[in-house]
Amino acid sequence: MELTANIALGFAVALTAQNILYCFIGVLLGTLVGVLPGIGPVTTVAMLLPISFTLSPVSALILLAGIYYGAQYGGSTTAILVNIPGEASSVITTIDGHQMARRGRAGPALGIAALGSFFAGCVATLLISVAAPALAAVALEFGPAEYFSLMVCGLVAAVVLARGSVVKAVAMVVLGLLFGIAGTDVNSGVRRFTYGLQGLADGIEFVALSMGIYGIAEIAHNLEQKQAQVAVTDRIGRVWPGWSDIRQSIPAILRGTGLGSILGVLPGGGALLASFAAYTLEKKVARPPRHFGEGDIRGVAAPESANNAGAQTSFIPMLTLGIPSNPTMAMMIGALMIHGIAPGPRVMTERPELFWGVIASMWIGNLMLVVLNLPLVGMWVRFLRIPYRLLFPAIVAFCCIGTYAINSNVFDVFVMGFFAVFGYLCLKLDCEPAPLILGFVLGPMMEENLRRTLLISRGDLTVFVTEPISLAFLVASFLLLLVVAAPAIRAKREEALQE
Amino acid sequence: MSVHASKDFWAGVMFLGFAGVAVMTARGYSVGTAGRMGPGYFPLALGMLLGVLGLITIGRAIMDGSGKVAPMQWRPLLVLPAAVCLFGLLIQWCGLAITVVIVVAASAFAARESRPLEVAALATTLAVFCTGIFVYALRLPLPLWPAF
Repeated sequence: MELTANIALGFAVALTAQNILYCFIGVLLGTLVGVLPGIGPVTTVAMLLPISFTLSPVSALILLAGIYYGAQYGGSTTAILVNIPGEASSVITTIDGHQMARRGRAGPALGIAALGSFFAGCVATLLISVAAPALAAVALEFGPAEYFSLMVCGLVAAVVLARGSVVKAVAMVVLGLLFGIAGTDVNSGVRRFTYGLQGLADGIEFVALSMGIYGIAEIAHNLEQKQAQVAVTDRIGRVWPGWSDIRQSIPAILRGTGLGSILGVLPGGGALLASFAAYTLEKKVARPPRHFGEGDIRGVAAPESANNAGAQTSFIPMLTLGIPSNPTMAMMIGALMIHGIAPGPRVMTERPELFWGVIASMWIGNLMLVVLNLPLVGMWVRFLRIPYRLLFPAIVAFCCIGTYAINSNVFDVFVMGFFAVFGYLCLKLDCEPAPLILGFVLGPMMEENLRRTLLISRGDLTVFVTEPISLAFLVASFLLLLVVAAPAIRAKREEALQE
Repeated sequence: MSVHASKDFWAGVMFLGFAGVAVMTARGYSVGTAGRMGPGYFPLALGMLLGVLGLITIGRAIMDGSGKVAPMQWRPLLVLPAAVCLFGLLIQWCGLAITVVIVVAASAFAARESRPLEVAALATTLAVFCTGIFVYALRLPLPLWPAF
């Protein structure tokens, strides 16, 4: 069996003492930033990118991946106990989770969130190991035209799922692509958009851009918000849910896992979308439907399973196609590129230890997370008492050190300063930064594939619609845009994306 | 409501501004043909697309209106990038330990509720912590002490 051999290889890699340690650090940090509102996995992954440079590529990805799915666990703790989402993807958990806490059932809520997440994590891990090789095999056959259209489709999906105006989101993608192609053109050697600055010869540093936007600008934005008084529910009680809770939650967990797994794979998807969709579905199909909004355990089980499943399956397009479905995955691609690995379908065949090691580590990480979250929940809650005024100067310092360390270049620090101001303006003007980040990562690849396609076709643009696979991607993108433009669905979308 | 206060209007202006810079700059590179794309081809196309999107955004802001821009908070907006730039100016000259103390202290000004003693304690702790993690544990090539 090839699959078992591969998984065995993965565990052999993930179970070395060193990688277990990095996995543990990753999920520990992930839980911490998940618990703390105001600092999310994207910022944390960005801060750790420079550090991951000193690790082997496998250890780096294991560490960074742990942060992302670890944050999904941590986020639910804050949502349930404080009624503030520790993480965007646990917004929906606050509804029923906090109601349960107010009725003295915080323990079972936390317990079911962790157990549901664990189940979802196991299923998603299995799904990745089955689906990813198949997808990579298909993707290996892709030519430049197919790749270009696939990237268009991915970016369109990212746009559709961004909050607010679609036109603005498309504009952010285009702006991201433009930022992405700054620097020396690989084909002609011409320096583009460098304005004589030596520091831009290699392009805009990804770490500087993402930390400016997701680190510093976020802080400025958070400082404007009124600091909510944290009122933590002290009585958590028994964490293990009772038998009736479990029996009631099982169908919800199954549905949440299924839906989350599918939505995670879609470009533009991931944990956030998955949790919203799962809650909506649960409200529609769960029988009897009565108690939603009043502390129904299924309102915790479904979205928490879904966000963890989605967080993990969003690795599928990243690992197999080299296409990020959300900003965190864009960071992962950044990490791979720092190590000189070109993300794409070849990673799996050329670096099997990397691919399978990361997957095996996810399962180990999920196991660690259950242990970290259930008995130690009291400790995490204590971190919530750290005031933001002590947290943000530390984040500023880490961002600065990280950006500087990546190339030992002061110029990158100033670039980060620029993007801090830019990111703040974007937040002020309701321009979502996520599409920009995806565009930035895909910019050079898109230009290269467009160039190759048109070189082969001798400038004939119709090649994108005569190649069947490419056509399919473009039709899908077009339909997606059409769907958003249709007024009835538009209203639905706004309702669904409303926080 | 006046158009000049609307979010979409200013977002459109921002896009248009970036588009203008992109198109002006890309015109300086050889464009080539579709079959043989020059370095200017893709940026020029993107720049023009961005310009159109900017115009649509502005047009829609004028026609339908959009939410007002929330009042700017200058304090964090000025202090945080300034602290970042301070790091850039000092790191090679003062070394990590001193720079971290200064940057932490400077960025604390971004929040009104920061307290002097607390900030001093935080800055010292972080300087020690960063030195331990980044210089000793991770061995990143960072200068630790002033270069003189």
